Amino acid sequence: MKSLQAALPVALALLASCGAEPDLRIYCALDMVHSEPLIQRFAEETGLDVEVDFDVEATKTVGLVNRIREEQGRPRCDVFWNNEIAHTVALANEGLLRSYDSPTAADIPETFRDPDRRWTGFAARARVFIVNTELADPAEIRGMDDLFDPKWAGKVGMARPLTGTTLTHMAALFTTVGEARAEEYLRAMKSSNENGQLDLTSGNATLMRKVRDGFLAWGWTDTDDYYVAREAGAPVAVVYPDQDGVGTLLIPNTICITRDAPHPEAAERFVDWVLRPEIEAELARSRTMQIPVRPDVPRPDHVPGAEGDELKYMEVDFLRVGAELVERQAAFQEMFLD
Amino acid sequence: MSRPLVALALAALVVTGLAPLAVMLLRIEGADLAGIFDARTASLLGRTLLLGIGTAAMALLVGLPFGFLVARTDVPGAGVLRALGVAPLFFPPLILAMTWCVLLPAFRGAPAAIFVLGLSTFPLVAVFSARAFERVDAAQEEAALLCGGLRAVLRMELPLALPAALCGTCLAFAFAVNDFGVPDYVSSVGVKFNVYADEIKFNWSQIRRPGKPVATALPLIVLTLGALVPALALRRRGALATLGHGFRQPGTLKLGAWRWPAFAFAAAVVLLAAGVPVLRLLWEAANMPAHVRDADASPGAKLALGWSTLREAFGLAFEKARADLRRSLLYAAAAAAACAPLGLVLGHAIERARSRAAGRALELACLLPLAAPAILFGIGIITLWNHDATARFYDSGWMAVVLLAGRFAVFPILICAGAAASFDRALEDAATLSGARPARRLGAIVAPALRGSLVAGFVLVFVFAMRDLDSAILVPAMNKTAIFRVFNGVHFGRDSYVAALSLVLLFAVVTPGLLWTLFARKRLEVLP
Repeated sequence: MKSLQAALPVALALLASCGAEPDLRIYCALDMVHSEPLIQRFAEETGLDVEVDFDVEATKTVGLVNRIREEQGRPRCDVFWNNEIAHTVALANEGLLRSYDSPTAADIPETFRDPDRRWTGFAARARVFIVNTELADPAEIRGMDDLFDPKWAGKVGMARPLTGTTLTHMAALFTTVGEARAEEYLRAMKSSNENGQLDLTSGNATLMRKVRDGFLAWGWTDTDDYYVAREAGAPVAVVYPDQDGVGTLLIPNTICITRDAPHPEAAERFVDWVLRPEIEAELARSRTMQIPVRPDVPRPDHVPGAEGDELKYMEVDFLRVGAELVERQAAFQEMFLD
Repeated sequence: MSRPLVALALAALVVTGLAPLAVMLLRIEGADLAGIFDARTASLLGRTLLLGIGTAAMALLVGLPFGFLVARTDVPGAGVLRALGVAPLFFPPLILAMTWCVLLPAFRGAPAAIFVLGLSTFPLVAVFSARAFERVDAAQEEAALLCGGLRAVLRMELPLALPAALCGTCLAFAFAVNDFGVPDYVSSVGVKFNVYADEIKFNWSQIRRPGKPVATALPLIVLTLGALVPALALRRRGALATLGHGFRQPGTLKLGAWRWPAFAFAAAVVLLAAGVPVLRLLWEAANMPAHVRDADASPGAKLALGWSTLREAFGLAFEKARADLRRSLLYAAAAAAACAPLGLVLGHAIERARSRAAGRALELACLLPLAAPAILFGIGIITLWNHDATARFYDSGWMAVVLLAGRFAVFPILICAGAAASFDRALEDAATLSGARPARRLGAIVAPALRGSLVAGFVLVFVFAMRDLDSAILVPAMNKTAIFRVFNGVHFGRDSYVAALSLVLLFAVVTPGLLWTLFARKRLEVLP
């Protein structure tokens, strides 16, 4: 009897956790510290009961993507806010997303929008080199092939290209520089790691920390990771690579509504709300300092624009990248996981 | 044995622990099995074996002497060292890896992975060894002391304690071969050290062949069972070999001149495995790396700044994670409470089964949920429970409890099985003769005698439930837990906040065991 009495509060608390069905359920891969306040504000402004499931660094989006796939028999997710694009395109190709042409996305360049309007890109990150200025002169680092320059042997690194934006980056390379050249680049990465010239870190954040703390001189990462190190006062600089070559890769956030979203109207309201220029401006000003994809969105001086003469960006066929993602990942796995 | 109770408990085990695995196994097609082994995956498996054997060896080399020293000798502070020596088991191994990569930046690859996982798992050997050394009959020990002093005692006792120590070693092996976070993290610098668990993790993205990741998991499940099954056999031998009628508790062994060197060894082990990670987390919570870099500030000013940052970081951690922490505690406590009756009924059934084979089969079935990769278990839960009829349940906190109970029920079941084995059956027979029905015997005779084991099972389930991330990442309710918030925060460079949050979580994890150890009269009994 006593044990029953003790179990009662726990059972009641758990029953209480079976809350009512929310008005909107969002799966969000953008960092919680940046997206949570925005989503809370949306909930306050609209009075909707919004539930959010986030991802963790360790799974690099794949946790939520797998959940959307596995839950397709009874979808729970209304809106998927992805912090990259390739997996969103893959979900669209699997028929798991529905079309929605948001009126607030009308001024977003077509490059960042699905022709069938199953997803919309906004607020991008760039794939850049983070450089420890005490160990290397940023002016000496210009493009992706510098990674294999013998003078940097043992001082450079990048994340293993099996997940996250590094996977998207390497998959995109195939569509921009061609099969042979991209394959050669990946093989050079692999052999450089085996020779001790190039470190393959457990993620972009780990790479950023290695450079920030002086264990490495420079390496590939995303702009948001670079800004985190910069804001902490670390001696780091950014290099937008390949300005005289293929250009720098931009990877936008993407937002989409799932095919059988349980709350489609609320989902559309949220997509409209997030895709407003004000949110892009806010994300540009935030600690994550995302690059607005609209040319006229106000941004801090150190955040480059996504269009114009300021920087040269890689021209990527994201539809192809998404369509090929699974095969590319399998091939990279064969190469890097041995 | 009460048949209805056993049937009920078995049904609970099947629904929570075995059905998620069964639905995943159904995905496998012939072609998935055909491609499991090639030169690459065989090499990954070979490296995983190396990691497992290396970790197990280190855990044994550290855990066995540590267990002996803190349980049986007059080493100063033995009781405190013994309690602190369990702490590394409560730390997510990735936190240990992050600590040692900062402190020993040149120490990388397989040796670093083995070192970190060895530190993380040595308590398994230490706990088992300590208990085995306590079970040496005083009469035998006194005879050995008279014949040849401490050296003769060790020669006599080592073979007696070795089965229990090897049991812990097998568990260390099983944990090591399933870890992919530590090998990946420690080889972020230098040549990559890939392991087989990576292959399973990445195969989940191969959507066109849903059976492939499940098939890929099979060799690792076999390897894990290959360690866990001998562990059970050794536990039976190691736990019971030295007990007999007329058993007398052995006294404390005097180490003489070796007392302080022994203390230095035991203290160093605790410091390396638990003290250093906690200190490093405190250092980062205070953002001292940044303050130390500030050349203009005096040492006093740096400390003051660190103290202020520390307070801010803890304030933020409590503010942001209060609700998540409450949920984590609730789910972990509920899962642990749900596992206790399962442990009692099934643990007792394993030992009192009419046929020995039935008992062993039940034991093996209990191991499966823990032996399977966490992600496989998590996706199995989605497949099994995410349907219209069970929608409210799937979306609720109950789903988290079911997941955690299904995965970790093996701890109380096996602990209670061990305790039931050493419990005098004559007491149950006497109750039977006096007319007590099986359920009454279990509740009134067996359960009170197994209270220490039940609490130990509760604590273990609670600890593992609090730190579980890999399977939980796929279940909605578990997305709002403290461990989830810690690993979500790792990305953003808010190192002080993440470190403070990790410390808060660690404190929450150790609290139930600590409270029981401090205030309860009956000790936690992981082994009988």
